Amino acid sequence: MSEKPATEWRATLKRRLAVAGVVFLAWTAAIEARLVYLQVVRHEELFSRAERQQMRTVEAPARRGAILDRGGRVLAHSVEADSLYAVPTEIDDPDRAAAALCGALEDCGPRDRQGIANRIRRGRAFAYVRRQVSPDQAKRVAALKLDGVGFMKEDRRFYPNKDLAAHVLGYVGIDNRGLNGIEAAYDSLIKGRAGTVLIQTDARRQAFSRIERPPTTGSTLELTVDQYLQHVAERELRIGVEENRAAGGAAVIMDPRSGEILALANWPTFNPNAYREAPTDWQRNRAVQDLYEPGSTFKVVTASAAFEEQLVSPNDPIDVSAGQIRFGARVINDDHRYGVLSFADVIVKSSNVGAIKVGLRLGPERMGLYVNRFGFGRATSPDFPGESPGIVWNPARLTDSALASVSMGYQVGVTPLQMAMAVSAIANGGELVEPRVVRAVITDGTRTAVPRKTTGRAVSAGTAATLTDIMERVVVDGTAKAARVPGYTVAGKTGTAQKVVNGRYSQSEYNASFVGFVPSRNPLFTIVVVIDSPHGRNSYYGGTVAAPIFQRIASAALRHYGAPPSISAAPPLLVARREEPLTQPTAGPAEMPGQVPAIVTLAGAAPGAAAAGRASLVPDLRGLSARDGLRMLAALGMTARLDGVGVVVEQDPAPGSPIERGTQARLQLGRVGATHASPLPVDTGP
Amino acid sequence: MFERRLYHHIDWGLITAVAALCGLGLANIYSATGGWTGIVQTQISGIVLGTIALIVCLSLDYRSLADKSHFIYIAIVALLIYVLFFGAVRGGSRRWIDLGPVNLQPSEFAKAALALVLAKFFGESRRWSVTRVDLLIAGALTAVPVLIIARQPDLGTAVTLIPVALAIAYVAGMPMRLLGTLAVVGVLAAPVAWKFALQDYQKERVETFLNPEQDARGAGYQQIQARITVGSGGLWGKGFNEGTQGQLRFLPVAHNDFIFSVLAEEHGFAGVLVALGLYLFVILRALEAARLAKDRLGAYLVLGVLATFTFQVIYNITMSAGLAPVKGLTLPLMSYGGSSMIATLAGFGLILNVRMRRFTN
Repeated sequence: MSEKPATEWRATLKRRLAVAGVVFLAWTAAIEARLVYLQVVRHEELFSRAERQQMRTVEAPARRGAILDRGGRVLAHSVEADSLYAVPTEIDDPDRAAAALCGALEDCGPRDRQGIANRIRRGRAFAYVRRQVSPDQAKRVAALKLDGVGFMKEDRRFYPNKDLAAHVLGYVGIDNRGLNGIEAAYDSLIKGRAGTVLIQTDARRQAFSRIERPPTTGSTLELTVDQYLQHVAERELRIGVEENRAAGGAAVIMDPRSGEILALANWPTFNPNAYREAPTDWQRNRAVQDLYEPGSTFKVVTASAAFEEQLVSPNDPIDVSAGQIRFGARVINDDHRYGVLSFADVIVKSSNVGAIKVGLRLGPERMGLYVNRFGFGRATSPDFPGESPGIVWNPARLTDSALASVSMGYQVGVTPLQMAMAVSAIANGGELVEPRVVRAVITDGTRTAVPRKTTGRAVSAGTAATLTDIMERVVVDGTAKAARVPGYTVAGKTGTAQKVVNGRYSQSEYNASFVGFVPSRNPLFTIVVVIDSPHGRNSYYGGTVAAPIFQRIASAALRHYGAPPSISAAPPLLVARREEPLTQPTAGPAEMPGQVPAIVTLAGAAPGAAAAGRASLVPDLRGLSARDGLRMLAALGMTARLDGVGVVVEQDPAPGSPIERGTQARLQLGRVGATHASPLPVDTGP
Repeated sequence: MFERRLYHHIDWGLITAVAALCGLGLANIYSATGGWTGIVQTQISGIVLGTIALIVCLSLDYRSLADKSHFIYIAIVALLIYVLFFGAVRGGSRRWIDLGPVNLQPSEFAKAALALVLAKFFGESRRWSVTRVDLLIAGALTAVPVLIIARQPDLGTAVTLIPVALAIAYVAGMPMRLLGTLAVVGVLAAPVAWKFALQDYQKERVETFLNPEQDARGAGYQQIQARITVGSGGLWGKGFNEGTQGQLRFLPVAHNDFIFSVLAEEHGFAGVLVALGLYLFVILRALEAARLAKDRLGAYLVLGVLATFTFQVIYNITMSAGLAPVKGLTLPLMSYGGSSMIATLAGFGLILNVRMRRFTN
């Protein structure tokens, strides 16, 4: 073949090597292009794909902070509960597993069982079987030792006092999110910060768990609410609503100086531990969400404006002898004919005509100014989610007829809380203080008090004092005699307003309300009671329906706080008990005016007298509290069985019968107001 | 035997690049297997033993080695047969000779042996062109170890022997027409092989290569993971020892077949460019050694050794980039594997040997 071997093979070699080299370089270029495509163009996508398959970020839920009352008593706290989950891929027969689980849970029907089976069938890595089961259920399920069923700890919100302060507190959803009340308004504070656990899994699904950020426990809230007063307010409100066969009601106790809400009660109420079972109507916080036309209680605002503008003074005569006032076709009547009243008496007797005449002299602008100054028409506080701002018309648009309505508390929509704030302004000397529910926030052991917040001055101190004077007279000899608390001066105002039903003022549906503060010269409590649609024996007037409830709440509150009496004249009981100086001088509802005879009887048969040798006869215990009754019987060597709640209304043996030592007496307890209430002077406002 | 002046002709550039690749591989094995483990230690001993093998192969004149190539060849074939019957079984195949602390994989050494014997066969042929008889003989010499290794079964290593024969035949002047014919036959044979020769799992691999997402949890898994691993590295990578794909074992045998993907994940495109550059340098430098070789024997020997090396580099990187079906082919110099490391370094010993002795007679 070729005769030039030395160059021949080398030439072939070089030629072919060049070809191979080119091919190799082409490959290099291609692979570089591919790598650019993967690592630059598709980097983001592939990177996140890698993250997705390697990491699962699981929230480590934070422990929710507790909610306490002002005394540190727990109103809401979180407890650990077991949640039951399944790993569906590890369960071969969902139906059988569901049946077994249901058997252990004990409380699930065929539909629940089907639901569990379906969840297991549909899920892949995780499915809830049942969240937040009871410890007993958890124990029974654990005993089954089922494959692919596990427990995890979850927090569950628990309200130890059940429906106490339910509307204030709100409730928490199953995902630990506050859904209502304080739980919702302060959710971000209470819930803490969830930690994140980054779980890296390898290809065999083994997890290397690494906590990136530990959860921080939420702040504890100390509320302004006093658990005891809250209880009293709820109890008295409930009894008041039932007694008056009303549709519902709200009661607010507020410290007029600090704006702290001591109690906020609504009826109907609900149990936040089982909020899902309660109708939404029951969950409504009437005290801040329900608008009502305040009626005569609003005359306080009219009068404040008139005094502040020096339009009238308390003794100026107002002629209300016509007993009616006419706006075109509209006629507004007083319930009684009074002749000429001083302006103070216009308020005390709640004359509509008098209030309207003053309101018309004020004019829409000035009326509107004071409505605004007292805080109506805007939400009072951020502490109440869903608070209604109320309805206040633009004063420029008010006709005389409309202005007349506003003067006596119609054509404005207010909430009980707004009313409490307005009356508190009068109580504390004219300052508008923002109502609040949170007293302090406790974070990591550090307590930060929430400061009092004022939003300006409603009226001068002088005007406030004048009004206080007039409101005291309302209680002493006006429409609200039922609101008298023995030993204390009370200032208040009744309101009876027709409700609008189907666009017309109803002749049968009313809102009966009372606003007041006590002790009036050095007020501790502003109390507002609003009763919706009373249909009971006490008629529908603020003075007969709401004032007694105010009286009961106020006396309990005063006793609880140990407020010194503000009237020097002591009630008869105090004289009878000289040897028990430590006992509070008030004995609750027993001292209602209607019960005076019973107390007089008691004074005659006081323990002192019994000890003096006349121990042979059973004293009259009627009107005494259960505790006092028992104490007296014990002094006589008798025991007693108690029936019912309240004060003693009946006793066996009867008063005056001979005492048999060592026997058991029977005391029937009841509510004095409910059984013996005599018709009280009625509120004249419509 | 080793003359002093030869020392001055050693290609230090090539050695540096090879050492760099070994180091790069070692670093990636370290991070892929989670630190200082037995695997890293084995790799280091592989590198040490390989360096000794390299020095040995460098020291002996390649011509005298070639003279004894038939003995070497026969010895290797004997070893392969021995392994076939008495070898240690791992992962369903018999590839290793159990030597106590170390396992030897004779098939890795078959590459160099085949290169030697074929280089001698073609290089000392008296004819100046390649005849069909030559090709048949060469084909037979290749087929013996290929078939034995395939029986182990270790199709991957068996296939790496073929480039040795093809490359040497090619540069020795095998007619292009014949090469074309071979290619055509190969293409035509593919469907037949598909039907009769390939095992089910092998078919599956090819199928999933064509459509990996079709079976993302099963057979397509590795390929998808390789793509994710490379892509998630980005331009600069996640950093040394930060490659999660490899460490969390999403990428199977990351320290072995997919070491390049680990590199791509941890050091990004930048790291990949460095590694590719080193391989490119090594290969082009070896090609130069072939070009400069004093005789045909030397040139063919270099090319034979280089062919199997290049074939593996190309295939492995292509596979790591998700462009080729997953096949158990390691990336020489970087992948974990003692025998492979020793054999590869020994091969580079031969390449250096040829270049170093280009002026001697």
